[in-house]
Amino acid sequence: MEGKLSSVAKNFTPSSIQELSQLAQKCNAINLAEGFPDFPAPPCIKEAAVSAINNDFNQYRRVQGICDQLALTMKKTHGLNVNPLTDIAICCGQSEAFAAAIFSIINQGDEVLLFDPCYETYEGCITLAGGIPVYVALEPPQWTLDPEKLMRSFTSRTKAIVLNSPHNPTGKVFSRDELEIIAEGCRRWDCVAITDEVYEYITYDNQKHETIAKLPGMQERTIITSSLSKTFSVTGWRIGWAIAPASAASAIQNIHIRITDSAPAPFQEAALTALRSPIEYFETLRGEYELKRDFCMKLLGSIGFRIQFKPQGSLFLFSELPKDCLLSDVEYVEELIKQAGVVVVPGRGFFHGNESCNYQKRYIRVAFCKSGAILNAAAQKFGELINAKACPKILY
Amino acid sequence: MQAAECTWTHFEMLRPLCFKSPSTTPLFFNFSKHFQKGFSDSSFFRSNRRISNYPSFMATISSLSTHKDPVSTHDATPNITHQPVQVAKRLEKFKTTIFTQMSMLAIKHGAINLGQGFPNFDGPDFVKEAAIQAIKDGKNQYARGYGVPDFNNAIAARFKKDTGLVIDPEKEVTVTSGCTEAIAATMLGLINPGDEVILFAPFYDSYEATLSMAGAKVKCITLRPPDFAVPIDELKSTISKNTRAILINTPHNPTGKMFTREELNTIASLCIENDVLVFTDEVYDKLAFEMDHISMASLPGMYERTVTMNSLGKTFSLTGWKIGWAIAPPHLAWGVRQAHSFLTFATSTPMQYAATVALQAPDSYFAELKRDYMAKKAILVQGLKDVGFKVFPSSGTYFVVVDHTPFGLENDIAFCEYLIKEVGVVAIPTSVFYLNPDDGKNLVRFTFCKDEETLRSAVERMKEKLKKK
Repeated sequence: MEGKLSSVAKNFTPSSIQELSQLAQKCNAINLAEGFPDFPAPPCIKEAAVSAINNDFNQYRRVQGICDQLALTMKKTHGLNVNPLTDIAICCGQSEAFAAAIFSIINQGDEVLLFDPCYETYEGCITLAGGIPVYVALEPPQWTLDPEKLMRSFTSRTKAIVLNSPHNPTGKVFSRDELEIIAEGCRRWDCVAITDEVYEYITYDNQKHETIAKLPGMQERTIITSSLSKTFSVTGWRIGWAIAPASAASAIQNIHIRITDSAPAPFQEAALTALRSPIEYFETLRGEYELKRDFCMKLLGSIGFRIQFKPQGSLFLFSELPKDCLLSDVEYVEELIKQAGVVVVPGRGFFHGNESCNYQKRYIRVAFCKSGAILNAAAQKFGELINAKACPKILY
Repeated sequence: MQAAECTWTHFEMLRPLCFKSPSTTPLFFNFSKHFQKGFSDSSFFRSNRRISNYPSFMATISSLSTHKDPVSTHDATPNITHQPVQVAKRLEKFKTTIFTQMSMLAIKHGAINLGQGFPNFDGPDFVKEAAIQAIKDGKNQYARGYGVPDFNNAIAARFKKDTGLVIDPEKEVTVTSGCTEAIAATMLGLINPGDEVILFAPFYDSYEATLSMAGAKVKCITLRPPDFAVPIDELKSTISKNTRAILINTPHNPTGKMFTREELNTIASLCIENDVLVFTDEVYDKLAFEMDHISMASLPGMYERTVTMNSLGKTFSLTGWKIGWAIAPPHLAWGVRQAHSFLTFATSTPMQYAATVALQAPDSYFAELKRDYMAKKAILVQGLKDVGFKVFPSSGTYFVVVDHTPFGLENDIAFCEYLIKEVGVVAIPTSVFYLNPDDGKNLVRFTFCKDEETLRSAVERMKEKLKKK
């Protein structure tokens, strides 16, 4: 009966990130692995959802108001003119928006460029749609984009490039220059840019997130995907969207209808409240996460890490293991669980290159979207180990 | 972490899915053309697809706009004559669903909507309250991808109660965003491009779309009035060792047919004989009025080859919550889970907690649900008969299919258009549920998942304004 599985399904393996979370739960370890907050969602947004349920917003629906609000935001933040009636599809999270975007434009055999390292789910979507993922490695330690390497990766079969900025796992925010380079590639090779901008409001040190869609010649060839999840700490609500030229948005909407039919109705209503949040909300969000980022950097510093790339955005710190550490990423993570009761993610799952680069097994990703109590608890555990000078395997 | 859980590494077929050199087997013939750049999609689709002949009024309705012709409100942007974002060929023909189109027309004409299958009354308080509590308790972050453990357990318990089958909630239950996603994940996870899949027409419209996304070759068997019985001889000649899967929706949308034990037994033996998988959509299982609902998975020898799909929405009048699930033996559940993880990653967390409570509802809830719907059905069916439709018996679901030809309109779409504009009632033209639209041209579907007053008003309007020719 195993022969009945499609060849696509057989190639897939369980999400390593989810597996680690389960291990952490079993060991009752402090979870700095999976990228969701452990602090509550904003009360007024929860209230809006409760209210929606009570007011019978519980049947299939598509809340046009979300599109109206998003169009306003696109104009205000990026200067983009988006038609809320034709250019936006509401989906079950950015996950579904991305999947629908891929299914909407990828034909069998189309190549899709991805930057390496990257979030593990993109490849699966692309393969499911019959596309071929092609990786362009960002160069450590600063995760720089090599323009020539990028241009060499485009072929006549390239249909799209995926751009996740702010970036998971590195925390990189692609600069305007880098966006220009990518845009040039798209224009020259007539490709589509599919963006994942879920961390768009989480940038640091006065860095601003810019969408590639605002560059010349790009709006007509960009599909923007994003969601409520990270901005409003409601990763479990599954409200996301795709913003694209009308033909693509329409295709995405139609595919979404066949995949899930509707995003959860009461949360669509709550999204209206969320998206109308005052500017202070976003400033506070940024400020709080920046403090957590700084704390996390100190935390790793205290056990011998030398952080070569300071996250410019996202909820993650991606760091190479200390030079003196001879362990691989996986071995280090296991030791960290056993000795310190803290879980992080081994970086190898984010790398896909054919190159046998040693560095791909030398990184760990730490999620700092956790409450102060949790971060302090982690600090305490590390402190105990340092004071006791215990465990040479994780202290350097 | 290692990919330790993959237990199929010894299979030779484990190589990355590659379409650069299409297989030379005949099954891939229809798709090798598909790979060529610049291939015109129309001839590809004409060869093994239904003919898309929607009349003009549907084509002009935009899926996203409340206006008939979307008006661009762009400021002056550079004149774009070349549209670089080209929609994938496989999906160019899948435009707005008929449901959206009809609903929009209904609003425009102030018509009573007996078309789209969602209730105009709300779900039970005890389920809504459970969702509210979950939100307040902070259950707002990612759930485990294949389902909140308590919910998986509740699904397994419910399945045992309904079928007697004991299943492992950890390995055999996958939670999805509605049954719609369960279907999509099952197709994408278990169907290879070129695989043959048998569908019974008329069928819920998302089946064909997702089979197309999976690259399947659809073989259609038409169920015909008055009783929409399975044509056994036709089934026997259609099913073969080349068949990968057969999709069964029971109770059946749109006809209300429920597959009998005899029919299921026959299908089962053919599936065992030819090593065929069965995918069942059982979302209306609690709306079984004229006979007991039977799950294919409960027949001897069938559990190991069946994916049983269901959802919360219809049973609890919460269609917008999008909570569904797929039950399958581990080797099939695996494929469903993989595809699911790339389609939506996880399902709405607070709603899963509420659904756990819902599935544990006492028998009285389901008994009352049936009673209420049977009363509604009586109003509609009698009303439709009085108006002059030929009404076909519907054993389950909240749909009933009727023959509209006594009213002299040329086909189902013309009839529905007339019904909205001149009578002020919405029905769904069934031709869209067939591969060959002609098979449905005499039939339209009404729903009775509306409060009694709405049903009575609709019947009154039809009695008043719909005259036999």
